[in-house]
Amino acid sequence: MRTGTAAFLFCVLIAVHLLTLEEAEQARKTLPTGDGGTYVIPGPIAKILALEFDGLASDWYFLRALVFEGGTYERKEKPRVKSWEWKWFYDMLDSATALDPYFQDPYLLGNSHLTWEAHMIRETNSLLEKGNQHRDWDWLLPFYIGFNNFYFLHDNERAAEYLAEASKRPGPSEQLASLASRLAYKEKKTENAIIFLEVIAKKTEDEKLKKEFETRLKALKIRLLLERAVVSYKQKYHALPPKLRSLVTKGIITEIPADPYGGYFSLDTLGEIMSTSDDKLLPQQKRQ
Amino acid sequence: MTVYWPLALLTFKEGIRNRALYGISLIAFLFLGANVLISGSAMREIGKVAVDMALSTISFTGLLLVLFIGINLMAKDLDKRTIYMVLSRPISRPQYIVGKFFGMALLIVVTIAVLSVFGMLSIIIEKWAYPDYFPRFFWGPIFLAVLFAALSLILLSAVSFFFASFSSSSFLTLILTIMAYIIGQSLSDVKALVEAPQTAGITVSPVTHIIVQAAYYLFPNLSLFDLKIQAAHGLAVSPSYVGWTALYGLAYTCLMLFFAALIFRKKEFP
Repeated sequence: MRTGTAAFLFCVLIAVHLLTLEEAEQARKTLPTGDGGTYVIPGPIAKILALEFDGLASDWYFLRALVFEGGTYERKEKPRVKSWEWKWFYDMLDSATALDPYFQDPYLLGNSHLTWEAHMIRETNSLLEKGNQHRDWDWLLPFYIGFNNFYFLHDNERAAEYLAEASKRPGPSEQLASLASRLAYKEKKTENAIIFLEVIAKKTEDEKLKKEFETRLKALKIRLLLERAVVSYKQKYHALPPKLRSLVTKGIITEIPADPYGGYFSLDTLGEIMSTSDDKLLPQQKRQ
Repeated sequence: MTVYWPLALLTFKEGIRNRALYGISLIAFLFLGANVLISGSAMREIGKVAVDMALSTISFTGLLLVLFIGINLMAKDLDKRTIYMVLSRPISRPQYIVGKFFGMALLIVVTIAVLSVFGMLSIIIEKWAYPDYFPRFFWGPIFLAVLFAALSLILLSAVSFFFASFSSSSFLTLILTIMAYIIGQSLSDVKALVEAPQTAGITVSPVTHIIVQAAYYLFPNLSLFDLKIQAAHGLAVSPSYVGWTALYGLAYTCLMLFFAALIFRKKEFP
């Protein structure tokens, strides 16, 4: 074959290769993905199929879940993640932790997204419980179960049990042991939530989540300020303020701070602080 | 020992000269290189993923070595009729089997040792790049996991010698050894599943139950030698576990060689 012919053939083949690859890739994107049909091999079966590579298979399951979750931030549609996708995400993490129950990352990833976004609180707690039983040196897992029980399920008794367990393990902040006993006082709900979230924000490395927690903390601190102002008003005038604005007019506070979530604060008939953005701050509470 | 050593050394040299070893080494180095890239994508437990990748690469490469070089080492003697030359010397057939096996075991130990150096290097690079993401990291369990991986491969190699002693072709030996490996690695999990099928939402017939129980005692339990997860999380392994498992490995290996020698003694060569 002459050099010219060979060069021509080479160029044509390269061009065809690039064109077909691009077209096939584009066409693949239009293939139906089958809503709800994505199957995840259950943990006990995956354990058999993984042979001696349980740890590696667990890493693979986790990385797939991580990549999927990260990729959803580019989506424009609302909700960002469909409910069947959250189920798939949970199944992936469940299988990852069945293969390697000591692997901390799937528990933390699941807890970060399945609670605040997917509202799968009980599923998340059962996932964390698996880790809690195996990683008996890790205080973060019982701490998160405790938080989920307190914040989303409003089960202070159970939350206190898990916090007490977390405080016995090496590493947690000193606040944790006292928080466990404080949970008995329901009127300190906002204060307790702030303490919990401060620990969580400190431990979160994901920048997006960290920002979200900081906004939540800011909202809770404003709520606490308003709650304390209502208490001061009650002590001074022996009655509930007729409306939230009265706290300013009577000089208890100088102004009503803006809600970081863009909502408006108000006072209900029992003197509780409310906001039109409460579903963002306490999603599960609002649902019940 | 004077009878076994020359044969073992010859087998080892033959194994080293095998070109398939270059391919296997290439796969191993690619995997270990990938370790540096992949483990960095984990959230907190980068150390765990790095150890997983390194140990899995070592085990997988060792497996390829046993399956594609080990089996051929014996088959080649039969195919090329060089076995007549060996057996014409003052060496019995059982001694031939044991000598060959020692050579293969030496090849496994040396290969695993070389791979371990590179595996450890990939872990050291990750540890240097992400020093804060190696909680509960200890070298002791990692070395133990490598040692047990080598023991498991030596056992599997003995199983392949047993199959080769009666099989007429190296392909059949390969298939039987792969089958024994898969069964051996999954036996414990299958047994656990059969004993508690509700965990996976399945039902198990009594016949399956009996078959699994029989297989449990018949096939080598290779999953006992898998300490990768313990190494990745720096979990303690009790000395009694180490002792009993090593003894089990030694006993099963000797049993396989005993049967291989017994069958090979009566084997008729073409």
